[in-house]
Amino acid sequence: MTTILVLLLTVPVAAALAAFWLPPRAGQAVTAVTGVASFAAVIALVPAAAHHDVTLGSYLRVDALSVVFMLATSFLYGAVSIYLIGYLKQGDDARTRPGQARYGHRLLAGINIFAWSMLAAPMMNSLALLWVAVEVTTVVSALLVALEGTDGAAEAAWKYVLIASAGLGVALLGTIFAYYAGEQVLGQSYALGFVPLLHAAAHLPPAAVRLMFVLAVLGFGTKVGLFPVHTWLPDAHSEAPAPVSALLSGSLLAVSFYAILRYYQVAQAALGTGFPRAVLLTFGVATLALAALSLLDQRDLKRLFAYSSVEHMGILAIGVSFGVPVALVGVLLHVLAHAAAKGNAFMGAGVMLRKLAVKHVSVVRGDGQAGGGGLDLLPWSGPLLLVTVLALSALPPFGVFRSEFLIVAGGFSSSHDAVAAVLVVLVTVAFFGLSATANAALLGPAPDRPGAALARGEPSAWMVVPVLAGLAALLVLGLHPPAHLTELLTRGAAELRGRS
Amino acid sequence: MTASLPIPLIQTLQVATVGLGAPLVSGVISRIEARLQGRRGPRVLQPYYDLAKLVRKEALAPEGASPVFLLAPLVACACYLTVPLLIPVLTTYGLPLGYMGDILGGGFILSLASFVVAVAALETGSPYAQLGASRAKTFAAITEPVVLFVVFTVALVTGTDLPYVLAATVRSSAGQLVRPAHLLAAAALFMVILYETGRIPVETHTGTNEFGMIEEARPFEHSGPYFALLKWGSMMKQLILYVILVNVFVAPWGLSATAKPGDVVLAIVTLLAKAAGIGVVVAVIDNSFAKLRLFKITEFVAGAFLLAVLGVFTLYLGGG
Amino acid sequence: MHLLAVGTAPSVFAGGSNVIALIVLLLEFGMLRQALRRDQIRLYAAQSAALSVLAITVAAARNLPDLYALAFCSAAIKVVAVPLVVRRLLRDTGDEIAGSGGLSVASSVLVAIVVAAFGFFAVGTLPIRSPVLPITALAIAFAVVLVAFVLMINRRDVVSQAIGFFSLENGVSLAALVVAAGMPLIFEVVFLFDLLVAVVVFGLLIRVHHGRAESLSTSELTSLRG
Repeated sequence: MTTILVLLLTVPVAAALAAFWLPPRAGQAVTAVTGVASFAAVIALVPAAAHHDVTLGSYLRVDALSVVFMLATSFLYGAVSIYLIGYLKQGDDARTRPGQARYGHRLLAGINIFAWSMLAAPMMNSLALLWVAVEVTTVVSALLVALEGTDGAAEAAWKYVLIASAGLGVALLGTIFAYYAGEQVLGQSYALGFVPLLHAAAHLPPAAVRLMFVLAVLGFGTKVGLFPVHTWLPDAHSEAPAPVSALLSGSLLAVSFYAILRYYQVAQAALGTGFPRAVLLTFGVATLALAALSLLDQRDLKRLFAYSSVEHMGILAIGVSFGVPVALVGVLLHVLAHAAAKGNAFMGAGVMLRKLAVKHVSVVRGDGQAGGGGLDLLPWSGPLLLVTVLALSALPPFGVFRSEFLIVAGGFSSSHDAVAAVLVVLVTVAFFGLSATANAALLGPAPDRPGAALARGEPSAWMVVPVLAGLAALLVLGLHPPAHLTELLTRGAAELRGRS
Repeated sequence: MTASLPIPLIQTLQVATVGLGAPLVSGVISRIEARLQGRRGPRVLQPYYDLAKLVRKEALAPEGASPVFLLAPLVACACYLTVPLLIPVLTTYGLPLGYMGDILGGGFILSLASFVVAVAALETGSPYAQLGASRAKTFAAITEPVVLFVVFTVALVTGTDLPYVLAATVRSSAGQLVRPAHLLAAAALFMVILYETGRIPVETHTGTNEFGMIEEARPFEHSGPYFALLKWGSMMKQLILYVILVNVFVAPWGLSATAKPGDVVLAIVTLLAKAAGIGVVVAVIDNSFAKLRLFKITEFVAGAFLLAVLGVFTLYLGGG
Repeated sequence: MHLLAVGTAPSVFAGGSNVIALIVLLLEFGMLRQALRRDQIRLYAAQSAALSVLAITVAAARNLPDLYALAFCSAAIKVVAVPLVVRRLLRDTGDEIAGSGGLSVASSVLVAIVVAAFGFFAVGTLPIRSPVLPITALAIAFAVVLVAFVLMINRRDVVSQAIGFFSLENGVSLAALVVAAGMPLIFEVVFLFDLLVAVVVFGLLIRVHHGRAESLSTSELTSLRG
């Protein structure tokens, strides 16, 4: 098992170097193989992690909670790496330009490093290294957002790096207080290990833990997209290349949420359940409300999906604050289902952008200038995107439905009736916003273009396969999750509740 | 054993030191300034000659000015001669009349003086004098809270607001001197003094740029003995503020602890030397910075306000 | 409870270190009003220098040899390297960054005072005690972080925003010095890593930004809203 950890920490880096130096086709092949292999490797970890922790040295430790998040990341890594083959295909469209080869190299290498850093973060046993890993994800993803080289991309990247780095500065303060709290009990030699901190939690000074938790939620919450500090998120998601957006939304947000969960575990063990849950509940409800209302007013397809991510992060925070096992299993399932659904959504949107040869699909209601026509032009991706939007809105029989159902059920069973009801209402509002704009983009007429009308057809089969895989995953999660996965989620939920 | 001086005499000496020493300090400062600028500069005693000459001249008042115009210089001078009774000019121990008023009391008397001068300036009808008066009062709206916060700091540090007690507290240990609250309050006070005495970066005190004038514009219409009184008054104000800064905040050493004549004389000399020392600092600042544009002065006084507020904050945290 | 502590003076070490911490905070306030790019960078260098002086003071007074290394490394990076890199990156752009604030200088100072007061009292009342530095320094560190946020939010030019971020990092370092001065090596690595990363990313982005928008102001970057 430990071999897998070492491989996961080394192979993507090697793949990144290879993708940077090898010719484009070889680079794409290496990336695709690495991505799919990573997913397979993490799946191989599942049975072990469902029963015991896997540790290597004092710095690497993988438990059920980590594997859930690694599963989400590696699945998207695999999907995106295949999608990239189609995305980087030399065509006769607007993407053929002098900097094409360099762009391709950078995108491939960047995606590999990005996925590597997100796979590494959940493996870290030290809070300091966890912070470093999250910082690396920021750096790499900021550069990837800026990759398109447009004014909008520069602005979005600047906003993103500024807000996210400032947030991580706050998270670093939280880490420092974690050290302070641990040092009070464990002495000067304490090196910010997670396990010792959790074991000593009962004796930690409450004030320091409280400060630590709030700072960590606010700091890492910046990257999760929690309410007051979410402002970078829609810009970065809408300006980044589609595969990067898929990773950002499905995986990066989840990994940052994972960091919050680690602090949540410590805070819960030290302070009891009241305070940490109240904090998460407040942030969660505010985030969900903001996102649901913003969704009603979005015209740009990728911004729409970005706000949908904010919405789902709010749901995650609320789910954790319910605290009962049902809701926690729902939360972990939701991480997986959201990754699959949101990856699909951004990859589908990417296909549409490619087909229409534009940077943004904007639906302008009223004056007839609709950027629609998804169903007319794309025989496969159009319907798939439509189904994805339905899945994203938590319609059965997909995974998101199952997870949200579990979370709401947990809410009612833990006598959070009012919150659960609010959650249902807001999710419904979000559904209206999401489906209204997405349907207009897909079902509406194709935009009038000067010159030849676009022919019906897919830009590349490579860009359809991963979407199909995502949909398959959503169906599996929704209809009948495998036994090992259920065990994993149950164990992860138990870890979140605290073992004692 | 030499005989001790009677206490009332020392009290009188405090007032006399400020009253008679003020022109000397001004003379020293302008001499230093000239030397820094590479000029030979006026004699150190020049302010005395200026005042003597002005006293011999004829006094004129603008047509229609009320008696307030002529009374103002007298009232201002009376105020400036009262304040030295309240602050530790020469002695470490409180003199009988020193408990007549606290720091706030002294501040009130100083602002009364500035108020009557402003009223007299408004009496004249001269645009420059009025401009100076109105500007002075506008910025005073910000400097007064600064002074208040400085007083709060003092009160929190010592538990009283008597200047003698603060000076004694500062002398008591080196820890007191490096207290952040103390340093911040002293710095804020210094900035207020720069403003109050009309120095760079607030205004050029020697120039003739009427548009930038605040302090210097106010006595434009006075003449003869009245102008002499106003000039003398502003010299005394400068010395009084310096005394508060050095003897209460920065360096309350060299004061006389007894009533012996030798000690008292020594205290007078030290005081004038310390005031001249502050004068050197002010002169250096004068020569190394440019005057701020008028609307930037709010930034300057906002800076002083910041220092004073931070001083109180650190005190409340118990670490100041 | 706090009034009790007011009457007695802190020790010379505590007072002195508080003064240095306050200087860090005052320099942060100074950044709110800087009108020239090179002055902004210079202020940042001065702030970092003050921080290193504090670290050395603590190292000497509390006998923590690790801290010397950290102080010298961070001085080398923050006082010399970062200002040099930022200045070089922006060599061919205009120097004037005045008036990029949404608020006037005086009002942004007042806002910052209020924000700093919040940080002061929110943290100052916590029962956190440090063996190496007085708790006031921790409160000041939080005030520095919050004022840096005011700077980043208020100013619309790239330099002030970047410097705001760097100085936020200084505030975090100050907090670390207070509560975690016996830092194991891991923290030092974290800091230096963070700074290097920040320089690289900001450097690249400033480049991109400058190449694209041909100006250092972010006020024209308002297309992405909602």
